[in-house]
Amino acid sequence: MIATEPNPLYEGLQIRRRPSPCALVIFGATGDLTQRKLMPALYSLAYRRLLPERFAIVGAARTEGTDDEFRERMKDAVQRFARDPFRQDVWDELAAGMRYCGLEFDDDAGEDELAQVLREVDAHRGTQGNRLYYFAVPPSAIEMLVREVAERRQDDGWVRLIIEKPFGHDLESARHLNELIREHFDESEVFRIDHYLGKETVQNMLALRFANGIFEPIWNRQFIDHVQITVSESMGIEGRAAFYERAGAIRDIFQNHLLQLVAITAMEPPSDFTADSVRNEKVKVLHSLHTPGPKSVVRGQYGRGFIEGEEVPAYREEDGVDPVSETETFVAAKLYVDNWRWADTPYYVRMGKRLPRRETTIAIQFKRAPHPPFAEAAAEGLRPNVLLIHVQPNEGMSLAIGAKVPGLGVSIRTVHMDFLYGSTFREGLPEAYERLVLDAMLGDATLFTRADEIEEQWAIVDAITAAWKRDRPSFPNYPAGTWGPPSADDLLHRDGRSWRRH
Amino acid sequence: MAPTLIEDWSGHDVTIGEVESELARLRATSAEEGANTQQRTSVMTHVAWVPPEWLDAAERTLEGLAERHPSRTVILVPKPEESESRIDADLSVRCFAAADRAVCGEVIELHLLGDRAMAPASIVLPLAISDLPVFLRWRGQPDFAGAQWEQLVGVADRVVVDSSEWDELRYDELSSAFERTALSDIAWSRIFDWRVALAGYWPGIREQEIRVRGPRAEASLLRGWLAAQLHRAVRPVERAGELGVRLGGEELPSPRTEPRSPSDLLSAELDHFARDRIYEAAVAAAV
Repeated sequence: MIATEPNPLYEGLQIRRRPSPCALVIFGATGDLTQRKLMPALYSLAYRRLLPERFAIVGAARTEGTDDEFRERMKDAVQRFARDPFRQDVWDELAAGMRYCGLEFDDDAGEDELAQVLREVDAHRGTQGNRLYYFAVPPSAIEMLVREVAERRQDDGWVRLIIEKPFGHDLESARHLNELIREHFDESEVFRIDHYLGKETVQNMLALRFANGIFEPIWNRQFIDHVQITVSESMGIEGRAAFYERAGAIRDIFQNHLLQLVAITAMEPPSDFTADSVRNEKVKVLHSLHTPGPKSVVRGQYGRGFIEGEEVPAYREEDGVDPVSETETFVAAKLYVDNWRWADTPYYVRMGKRLPRRETTIAIQFKRAPHPPFAEAAAEGLRPNVLLIHVQPNEGMSLAIGAKVPGLGVSIRTVHMDFLYGSTFREGLPEAYERLVLDAMLGDATLFTRADEIEEQWAIVDAITAAWKRDRPSFPNYPAGTWGPPSADDLLHRDGRSWRRH
Repeated sequence: MAPTLIEDWSGHDVTIGEVESELARLRATSAEEGANTQQRTSVMTHVAWVPPEWLDAAERTLEGLAERHPSRTVILVPKPEESESRIDADLSVRCFAAADRAVCGEVIELHLLGDRAMAPASIVLPLAISDLPVFLRWRGQPDFAGAQWEQLVGVADRVVVDSSEWDELRYDELSSAFERTALSDIAWSRIFDWRVALAGYWPGIREQEIRVRGPRAEASLLRGWLAAQLHRAVRPVERAGELGVRLGGEELPSPRTEPRSPSDLLSAELDHFARDRIYEAAVAAAV
């Protein structure tokens, strides 16, 4: 009787719900993602005592190795990449539950060995048969792993899958993968990760819109002239030629991160903050998105140029890239959301590599004041109000407003009111992976992408790339270190607009 | 990271109007001199009632606090025994590097001499930043019947004390302010890890003998919390240097605690706005 009563000692303790015991199985445990992101995130969770009390990490990869070697490699990763100081006691606790299994993913014997390791973990660590599988592997391995995991599924305990992007390479392959997963797993057991959704600023967009009464009434076509979303990177492909040659900017960034930013900016208020309510609203936006035609999408590929004063090679000169490659490293597009709120309000989006700086921003440009009485005085300086959301770096937001320059005349100048996370909340922001891995352990899929969202995203990409198949691009068409090809500027100039000044 | 003191000013026998105008001048000067863009940022008005013997400790805490809670800080140093009645002021603008700019907060240290120490609310109100909450940190043992406590509780949205600083644990008098403002105690935040650890012993803890020992304030609050939440009697605390709990005759392992500076502890309190009913029940049971 007593055990079923709520624990009164937890009342008022402001601690996050701790996940139930589980083993986290990382396929691709020797890869870059595991070392740079996952392991540091797990360490940070351990540091804050947010992991389950009974927890284990089982690394699985093709490389042979021992448990101790795995621990050493992960310790090195934590010391290099974690945001928290290294503490031996925290590490010892985490490392005590670490195992490693070298195997070929398509080898039954290897998979059986992994299953045996997991049974041992259950026995020694008390993880109760609960499994969180993280597929940090190339897309080609995912189908096979889904089948292997499903075949060895036990009756006791829960099973959840975290699947890294890219999820498929077009609508057909994404549907095929979704169908395969549905054969073996319930949608509630599948967590398709897009780490942008774990970023504080992306979540803050929801807080900004739905926790402040002043924004939502003007968040529509009546008051907003257009929206600009920029996801720019200054780096090149960083040795990922094999992946990037197949993916290009449209599959690497547009299909996932960028469309998620559009969806969060444009979505209707959900009735609550549960996973399905939020995702239902995002799907509606994605379903309503369209580009007005092939001329509304611009693609580019960088040539030689300069980044931070250093000359960098053209895309076609990068190691592993086809010297006549037609892969795009830049995409700009005009999108429309066909609904009552956004009709005729363009969303201009652009993303690319080897742009002048790393930046992800959402700029909401409001309509000009209908009849500013200071038109003459403000002719040079007065610009429309812009609400700028800095997703990264320097997370925060700023509002550009016109203000009178002190003096006897009436001179108007645009000034910025800034809210920077770094200057108001002087605490380290959690890494996106910390939030997302913890949410998956808790079974909360709010910040993960649902099957129908993925398919809507691919439908938009397929519509764009279908047009690309009909003509050959003239690449390269922008020098590294610039904001893309001139046609990207034309895309806005045709509408009497321009990209934000940087 | 320690702040960079950009500008300061001291005044003898000042008015609040002079304080305001000097602050405006300091802000303007710091904006001209700073290499980076200066940004004044505040999430609250932080008032500290600091009798002179607590001034050094308060300033040390403040150094670590301003970075996490940029605010206008008003330090009131009462010196009612002085024969002359006046206000002396030390003002400073302190900045921290933040990305491509510097974030600046203001520290207003006012020494309230003679009768000027008797009506502190009238000094705080004109200095409080509009529309932001006022947090009051009361250093040392409050005189719960005194006019200063009465007035400052009246203007603060949240009052933070540290009962481990008190000569006597007068929780019954403290609890009389619960209906007027949100109150918290840094001694209470020091026992957080123990509370989390003890919650893990549910449901056995409900029936087992519990013995709490430790520093007077922390041990009393932990005992009060257990008694209030479990609706049972818990033995009086035993004095000791560190908190410890015996449950059913067995010594419990100490929870892993993060070393937290006085600034961290106060910062944690400043993150909360609402009344903490669990704390209030623990205080009532600790009496």
